[in-house]
Amino acid sequence: MSNTESVPGGTLTRVSEDSLLRVTDLSLGYGEGADEKRIIENLSLTVGNGEFVSIVGPSGVGKTTLLKGLSGLLKPKAGQVVVGGGALEGPHRDVAVVFQDYSRSLMPWMTTRENIAFPLQGRGQKKPLRNKAADEALDAVGLGGQGNKYPWEMSGGMQQRVAIARALAYNAKVLLMDEPFASVDAQTRFDLEDLVIDLREKLGVTIMLVTHDVDEAIYLADRVIVIAEKPATVVDVIETGFGTHRDQVATKADPRFQDARGRILTRLRK
Amino acid sequence: MRTLTNVLWRLWLPVLLVVLWWFASANSTNLFVPPLSRILGVMGRDFTNGVLLQAMSSSLSNLALGLLIASVVGVALGLILGETKRLRLILDPYIHFVRSVPQSALVPLIIGIFGLGSASKIYAVALACVWPILLNTIDGSLGVEVGVRRVSRVFGIPRMLYYRRVVLPGAMPQVIAGIRVALPIGIVVMVVSELFASNVGLGFYILHSSSTFRIPETWSGALLVGVIGYVLVIGFSLIDRQILAWYHKSGAR
Repeated sequence: MSNTESVPGGTLTRVSEDSLLRVTDLSLGYGEGADEKRIIENLSLTVGNGEFVSIVGPSGVGKTTLLKGLSGLLKPKAGQVVVGGGALEGPHRDVAVVFQDYSRSLMPWMTTRENIAFPLQGRGQKKPLRNKAADEALDAVGLGGQGNKYPWEMSGGMQQRVAIARALAYNAKVLLMDEPFASVDAQTRFDLEDLVIDLREKLGVTIMLVTHDVDEAIYLADRVIVIAEKPATVVDVIETGFGTHRDQVATKADPRFQDARGRILTRLRK
Repeated sequence: MRTLTNVLWRLWLPVLLVVLWWFASANSTNLFVPPLSRILGVMGRDFTNGVLLQAMSSSLSNLALGLLIASVVGVALGLILGETKRLRLILDPYIHFVRSVPQSALVPLIIGIFGLGSASKIYAVALACVWPILLNTIDGSLGVEVGVRRVSRVFGIPRMLYYRRVVLPGAMPQVIAGIRVALPIGIVVMVVSELFASNVGLGFYILHSSSTFRIPETWSGALLVGVIGYVLVIGFSLIDRQILAWYHKSGAR
């Protein structure tokens, strides 16, 4: 994938081999002309192949807006989002999203298998094939054999697992997660965090997680990107250096964890 | 055991009413209020000689076809209007205007336009039934969760599949409610449409018997229409429970 392409400014740049998602000078907002309100300004970042990046910021900073921009639901006011070599112009086959509110993002009239297979059906995949993919995804998130259940027959944590399975089955290059564990209880939250770490270790998925929870951001990611100010932009970037394996107790007791935590909290308090 | 108690609990009142009616009217000499025994006797006679069966089959097939047309048109149009704000804003006033006209009053016009055959009766039923179905479908489609729409966009669901698997099932509870409202309206218009220049159907049976002073027949016809309405509503709620199993069991709304 070492192709070359033109970037704004006209110069030819060699895209690094493992840069999967590249955001350049992205500005996002709502309204036009005089009513225009910028939420995100001049934000740049890159996510490498197989990398886990967290974006953390205070409530109301514009995380959801950023996620809409990254998933192609919102057109940039300026700058661009490049996924796997092409600029994003709308929802993209290479980007899958896990939304915060599982109860509203799963369809209650479909079984879990149908929910997971639905995006594949949209892609024109035949039924036996997409059902097989759905069952494999269910296995991967620890819900093997539960394909015939309806979402409302499951607990919140299980429903969020289904939403994760749906994104996995879509087989996108990048998995975007919008505060995916915000609506579940603490224990379930730890389980889901470890599930995501596990999935990443096994499947090598590239993940970008947006959250307001500083601990979660550090615990999960290789790199934490801190956004703040109005309009929001990147104010700090921290490499965690934990490797792919984590542990709820040991990792969180690691001095590097504590350092990162202190640094981010101080930065956000400004 | 519990279902038996339930059935008994629901049955005692109608049984009591029928018994009261039977005895209160037993010695009636009023031409317009014949004894219930005579009404039922006439009904039994006209069932065995086929008169009522023929009337029923003609009326019910008109009702079924009219309701089918109304459902197809109402749901298709309702989903499109629900999803297309601009179109909805343009058409909304007209929908409410046409809907406010009493549908029975339009029956003579429809018969005038479409002629005396069963086609005009079917159209009359369809025209009367389409409004509650249309309006409910629009409401239902507007009520589809934002989250579900967003998921469909992110995962690039094609338009037709989106309508079929997301908006339609999401709106289905209201669609079913709309059809439920349309059903009795359809029965009224079905009967009314047979009162004008007709020689078949339950409406004709009722009108013809009353204008020839065969009042027990008039009663039995009216009674039969009521029973048909009741049976259809019950049957429909069984279908409802099948189609909307997820909705009733999830208990989310």
